[in-house]
Formats: sequence, C-alpha cells, structure tokens
Amino acid sequence: MEDIAAFIKKIEFEMDEIEPGTIKPATHFRELEQWSSMMGLIFIALIDTEYNVTLNGNDLINCKTVDDLYQVVKSKIQ
Amino acid sequence: MTPFQLNNKTILITGASSGIGKQAAISISEMGAKVVITGRDQKRLEETFQLLKGKNNLQFSADLLVQEELKDMVEQLPQLDGVFNCAGIVKPFPIKFISAEVLDEVFKINFNAQVLLMAQLTRQKKINKNASIVFSSSIAAAHPYKGGALYSSSKAALETYSKVIGLEFSNLGIRSNCIASAMVKTPMFDTAEHQGTKERMDEHIKKYPLGVGLPSDVTNAAIFLLSDASRWMTGQTITLDGGFLLGDF
Repeated sequence: MEDIAAFIKKIEFEMDEIEPGTIKPATHFRELEQWSSMMGLIFIALIDTEYNVTLNGNDLINCKTVDDLYQVVKSKIQ
Repeated sequence: MTPFQLNNKTILITGASSGIGKQAAISISEMGAKVVITGRDQKRLEETFQLLKGKNNLQFSADLLVQEELKDMVEQLPQLDGVFNCAGIVKPFPIKFISAEVLDEVFKINFNAQVLLMAQLTRQKKINKNASIVFSSSIAAAHPYKGGALYSSSKAALETYSKVIGLEFSNLGIRSNCIASAMVKTPMFDTAEHQGTKERMDEHIKKYPLGVGLPSDVTNAAIFLLSDASRWMTGQTITLDGGFLLGDF
C-alpha cells in the first residue's frame, strides 16, 4: 500500500474546504470542523474505491486518528 | 365468504430465502394459498419451504437475472393469482463514488430482476385474470437519505413501474401495488446496521412511534393486497413506517 502521505492527500481531496496540509497522521478526524456523517460515508466509499477494502461503520468508529484508519486499511489489504 | 383470505390462490414469492420474503411465504401459505417460492440460495430456500403450510407448494432455486434460468423457471410455473416481489439489496454509496459496477448491482437486483420476471410471466400468460402483483418498496423512494442514491432511486423506479403494470393489465382485472416500509427487523436491517453503526440505527429507530417493524407487519399488508379484499385498489403504495413520517422527532 502507498504511504500515509498519499493516503492523507486522498482524504484531503475528498473533504471540501480544507487547506491542504491540515490533516496529519495524528489528527482526530472526527474533530475536524468538516466532519459529518456524510464524511463517514465518503471515507468508506473512498477506501472501497481506491483500495478495494470494505470497511463497516464499526471499523470506522474504532478509529480515532487518521493513522488508525490508515493502519486498518493496510491490515485489510491482501 | 370473507374476501380477506387467499384460499384457492397460487402466489409466487421472490426473495423467499430470507427476510420479508421468507415470512411472506409462511404467512401466505397459512392463509390458504398454494405458494411458489424462488430465491438464489437453494439451502435457505429449502429451509423456508419446510416451514410452509399445505402440501402443494413449489420451490425454484434460480437466478432471475440469468435470462435462460428465468425463462426455464417461468415455463415450469403453474398459473398464478398473485406475485409478491421481495428480492432486494441495500448498498449505501455517496453520489461521487457511484461506479458502473455498483449501479448495475443495485439496479439489477432491485429493479431489473422484477421487470424481467414480470415480462416473462405476462408474455407466457402465467398471470390469471384478477391477479394481484405486489412490490416491496421503501419509504426511501419518496424520502431518501444521504448515501441512498441507488437504493432510493431503484425503489422509486419500481413504484412507477408498478403503476404501468396497473395500467397495461387493468383490462384483465390485474392489479399492481407497492408496500413502502421503513426499517423492518430482517437480515437487511442487520446489514444496514453493520454498514453504519448500531448507535446510529438505534437513534433512527427511536424516531418510530410504534417501534421497528416486523416482517409480519409487512406480510399482513401484502396479504390484504393479494386478496380480493383490495380488488378496487391498483397503482398505489401503502406506507408502513410505525408512524416515522408523522414527523414527531
């Protein structure tokens, strides 16, 4: 899997009105002002589309930081 | 005799291997109808079949999206007095991520399969005069939700399609109606819960004054639509939502 910088770039691209470079691996994504339940759906769809990994709602809820999310995706890529 | 019964009727139920279709098959057989069930999963279909009342029921394990399988199955079917279409899937996808694959998957199962089945059934003259067709829709057809572009649109398509059946076959007394239900406790509910989170689902269900629906709640409405008690009703949609759309949030 590509590195976390590329992963973050993709996430930032999907978030409207966010300054590139705002998100770091340690960022708690749910605390971002752009966060919403719709973003949750978009994250799941993005990861499905880009990495062919299916996350469910609980996978997402167990992640706090962007790095947590990256690690989950990485662990599910075979 | 009361028209609220299904004696001497033969009813086809699709998607009968689980959820609403399974409950429908059981309840409709208990109401006196001869039941013909279809589903893709042969093992689970057999489980449903074992729960049916009466001796003359039939089962066909077929993938209705494979044209040859569909045609073969319809050829073997007896004459029908009713069809209850229960096959369906739910798949949340935000607008900007919809691909040809996911669009195909949802529409093929929720819309195309039912349309192609009805084409074969009518073309092969398997539907008796005064028969009743029932489709499983969703309140999402008229009240969509974020991520529900495909599911909601496929159900909206189905509701409009049902009205055209009502128009094209009214000369034979054949009726077509939909049941638009809110969340019902079925395996699809569990899937939706898994796709989102339990907390969000609990929060949603709290908005139902009468609580979450049971498969039998939907099935009982379907029995009414399949019976002669609803003989003057066609092209309509019955909403079953436990009071959700009353809007007391």
